[in-house]
Amino acid sequence: MNPFTYIKARDASQAVSGIAAKPQTKFLGGGTNLIDLMKMGVETPAQLIDITRLPLTQVEELPGGKGVRIGALARNSDVAEHSLIQQRYPVLSQAFLAGASPQLRNMATVGGNLLQRTRCYYFYDPAFPKCNKRNPGSGCGALEGYNRIHAILGQSDQCIATNPSDMNVALAALDAVVRVQGPKGEREIPIADFHRLPGSTPNIETNLQPDELITAIDLPAIPFAARSHYLKVRDRASYAFAIVSVAAALELGADRKITAARIALGGVAHKPWRAQKAEKELIGKTADEKTFRAAAEAELAAAKGYKHNSFKIELAKRSIVRALSTLTAMAS
Amino acid sequence: MAKIPSGKLPDGAGWQPALPKAERDTVMSATIGPARSRVDGRLKVTGAAKYSVEFEVPECAYGWTVESNIAKGKITAIDAKAAQGAPGVLAVLTHLNTPKFKSAPKKEGGGGGSGIRNEERFPLNDDEVHYAGQYVALVVAKTIEQARHAASLVLVSYAPEEPLLTMEAAEHKAEKPKKNNDEHVQIKKGDVEAALKDASLVKIEQTYITPTETHNPIEMSGTIAVWEGDQKLTLYDATQFVKGVQNILAHAFGLELENVRIICPFVGGAFGCKGAVWMHVLLAAMGAKVAGVPVKMHVTRRNMFVGAGHRTPTRQTLSLAATRDGKLQAIQHVSETLTSTVGQFTESCGARSTGVMYESPAIRVEETVFPVNVSTPTFMRAPGECPGTYALECALDELAIALKIDPVALRLANHADNHPIKNVPFSAKHLKEAYQLGAEKFGWAKRNPEPRSMRDGDLLVGWGMATATYPAHKMSAAAKVQLRANNTATVQCATHDLGTGAYTAFTQISSEQLGLPFENITFELGKSDFPFGPVAGGSNSTGTVGTAIHEVAGLLHKALAELAVKDSKSPLFNLKTDDIAMVAPGRIGLKNDTTKSDAYADILKRAGKDSLEVQSEQKPPEENKKLAFQSWGAHFCEVKIDPLLPRVQVTRVVSVMNCGRIVSAKTARSQIMGGVVMGIGMALTEETSYDPGTGLPVTRNLADYHVPTNADVPEIDVAFVGEPDFAFNPIGARGMGEIGITGIAAAIANAVYHATGKRIRDLPITQDKLI
Repeated sequence: MNPFTYIKARDASQAVSGIAAKPQTKFLGGGTNLIDLMKMGVETPAQLIDITRLPLTQVEELPGGKGVRIGALARNSDVAEHSLIQQRYPVLSQAFLAGASPQLRNMATVGGNLLQRTRCYYFYDPAFPKCNKRNPGSGCGALEGYNRIHAILGQSDQCIATNPSDMNVALAALDAVVRVQGPKGEREIPIADFHRLPGSTPNIETNLQPDELITAIDLPAIPFAARSHYLKVRDRASYAFAIVSVAAALELGADRKITAARIALGGVAHKPWRAQKAEKELIGKTADEKTFRAAAEAELAAAKGYKHNSFKIELAKRSIVRALSTLTAMAS
Repeated sequence: MAKIPSGKLPDGAGWQPALPKAERDTVMSATIGPARSRVDGRLKVTGAAKYSVEFEVPECAYGWTVESNIAKGKITAIDAKAAQGAPGVLAVLTHLNTPKFKSAPKKEGGGGGSGIRNEERFPLNDDEVHYAGQYVALVVAKTIEQARHAASLVLVSYAPEEPLLTMEAAEHKAEKPKKNNDEHVQIKKGDVEAALKDASLVKIEQTYITPTETHNPIEMSGTIAVWEGDQKLTLYDATQFVKGVQNILAHAFGLELENVRIICPFVGGAFGCKGAVWMHVLLAAMGAKVAGVPVKMHVTRRNMFVGAGHRTPTRQTLSLAATRDGKLQAIQHVSETLTSTVGQFTESCGARSTGVMYESPAIRVEETVFPVNVSTPTFMRAPGECPGTYALECALDELAIALKIDPVALRLANHADNHPIKNVPFSAKHLKEAYQLGAEKFGWAKRNPEPRSMRDGDLLVGWGMATATYPAHKMSAAAKVQLRANNTATVQCATHDLGTGAYTAFTQISSEQLGLPFENITFELGKSDFPFGPVAGGSNSTGTVGTAIHEVAGLLHKALAELAVKDSKSPLFNLKTDDIAMVAPGRIGLKNDTTKSDAYADILKRAGKDSLEVQSEQKPPEENKKLAFQSWGAHFCEVKIDPLLPRVQVTRVVSVMNCGRIVSAKTARSQIMGGVVMGIGMALTEETSYDPGTGLPVTRNLADYHVPTNADVPEIDVAFVGEPDFAFNPIGARGMGEIGITGIAAAIANAVYHATGKRIRDLPITQDKLI
């Protein structure tokens, strides 16, 4: 582990001025990912600013029925168990509870979860010489390597890593907005614009600026999200990253016609993958397996597999069908 | 025993208990010892049990390694300047400055009394790189953080060469070893070719693949090395073999054996990875010598994947020929495995499954080993038997389907009363009862043999079974006992408790053999100062150390008799010691007139002694060549599979085992459960994957290498059948640490076929293979 200095921030503005003052400074939240990566030698910050004392842990209703705000330092387990989340956004509660272990969820913050880094083996272990994310220009070890867990959508020949977060997938389906504070004040970043596709700069993973602090996540009011679902497909029954996951909500009108749909996929791309093609395909159709399959086919038409992960294409289609079928069954 | 007709499916009426319940209970009470809780349980749950690297040694520094990221080549330069100048650094060892290790002990066969080296080289003694992950430097620093940071500053340059990483690449180096230690691994009996060509027979030929599996005990390997001067060395080492470590370290550093002490009172799981002396043990001792301070080296979880052995991958081709009514006429088992270029460890799959399990007039076992530039494999719970039974028991399932015979009936039709190669009877073999009881407990008679025929709502249900087997191994051990006048005793042997419950089992055996209450016995192990104990491997410890306890108890009784016969106040005064033995708990007396007896405590008090101490001698175990000794069992399991998202969930397991006497019922049950859990991992989740370019493992932590979680494991119903095997040893126990994992992967794979109609012949059975 690289030597580093450690300071504590009292409030958000002190945190922001602190990170701007010294290069290679990082915020320390729950530490469940950052500390791990520092031990591996992947992250080598010169300074950590402990932000866990900042008053950003509340989950509260926004005025005027505009939705719910989650403080950036709220712990994953607290948000998962919060009644507002369980009642209005069950998909998010389920996504949290499908992730990691109880011990990790008790530590991990939602702001940190937004910035969770990929589990690509070639990124995580500096013994591998090639990784454009860790060492820009070195190449992608996964492309010709062991790539069972890698991306099938939106990847580039520079990087085929996936975003490992469960929470992010639910947030993408819910059109969440990330609130950040920087030296020039506050701004909002829609979740769709928060994470980036790898392109030629896979080392830049989000549109958060290095001197910005995430303060909250806003969930807009989506009445039909009260019936939403998170499906996580993994290699064992518990405690594993998703091979494929689906966050979904459906609004059904008369005669089981679909009037609104939200679908996002996890485990398939460099960012939580909002399945807009599938959503579009569903609108106005009858909620049945045939419709769901057609929507899944539309979304995965552009998918591309590699030596070890091509199975994910069919698995993702089936997962969409299952998630939507589960929601439809809940409605009847 | 109810008859199960061979050649057709058994009907429900066929499955009757082997014995009426009352009768069975009587037999089993002699076979199964008391269900005691672990004597060390409280120490463990309160954290008071000290594992090797938890010992506190004053002035202790920390070692951290640098590993190669090429699989083959030469080190051309090492720049250690920055590391040497980093805060807290006491020494940086590379091949350029590390003193030469002196020598290795001569290899001994079988029991490995001289210690075990799977990787037959010394670390940091030359510039050769043999595999990715090889330790190429060691940093010793005052704190673990300083050591870790300084290690990241060591710059190593290589001249890489093309590595051999697969069987295909190493084809030209392949070897067919005649023996694995003392055991013949190329077997030929009868005319296999003729049977395989016989058009009247039903035949199956299939290839089965198992991947590399890595040891992941909760306690990773680790060592603290402490020198006193330059001639005395103490190691706190996580090991299955304190005497082996002692001998190898004494040779490596040119020390007198008694000047090397190994201490290991508790082990947090081992399963084979702590049987040999691995490089970190030698490095800890060398680092401490060079830096002049004690050094602690804790192998990281990441380095458990390169530095402590693994189960080598296997490719096994099974060819079976049988008559239409299910009698095997030929079994051919060809296995191909990997080993490293710096060791000779081999996984003898065929010899340890097909070589013992079924009656057949023709049997051929072939084994080919490919040396590759991958770190050295080692023992992993039932090495050979475990992958071997997976392949053979899947092939038998495929044969049962081809013959339209129930899988249990097929196995009964080919049951081996005699060892199929040695042609001597098996001792106390009760496999038929294991099938019977297992089938009964599981409800096997209700199985519809048609694949995809059984459902639970939308879920596919599959039922599968397989035979389990593991040989009864015997090694040599000695023990020491100190009996005190207050009727308590301390028994010592340099054996080990790997988390298995050995402390409890040995306390139980000591209580029975010495004739003292369980609570009055203190059993001590895990120190090289104690009388010889062999490696805790091959499921040998209970029987081997139990036999030593039996012998030392006899010596103690004799020593008491010698005191009593000289004591005019004893009822045994002037009698012959040969006529005296233990006649009741705490008493010796005349064998043929038990009214003449004397209490241990009285004998000692009258002799004016506070205590009496005796020690047995280590001698080679007695061999009985007229019988074959092997443990047996049957696994029955149920899986449920969602046809759309086909992750396999094991929902029920019944395991019935025949292991001779079960000394300690509770810990024995845990052992079988543990084997089954590990077998679920083998069948469904565990695989060490390697990067095809660098040869480095990619799944190198517990997030990426999937051991089963609680949610993957159903309730496991364990039962025992049989009788004490006193022909094997005076304890009647054949050992049972490994048998639980044998066969279970096949039972699950067979259940998956039954559920889905898909035969997956490469493990693990992950959902991508079932889509």
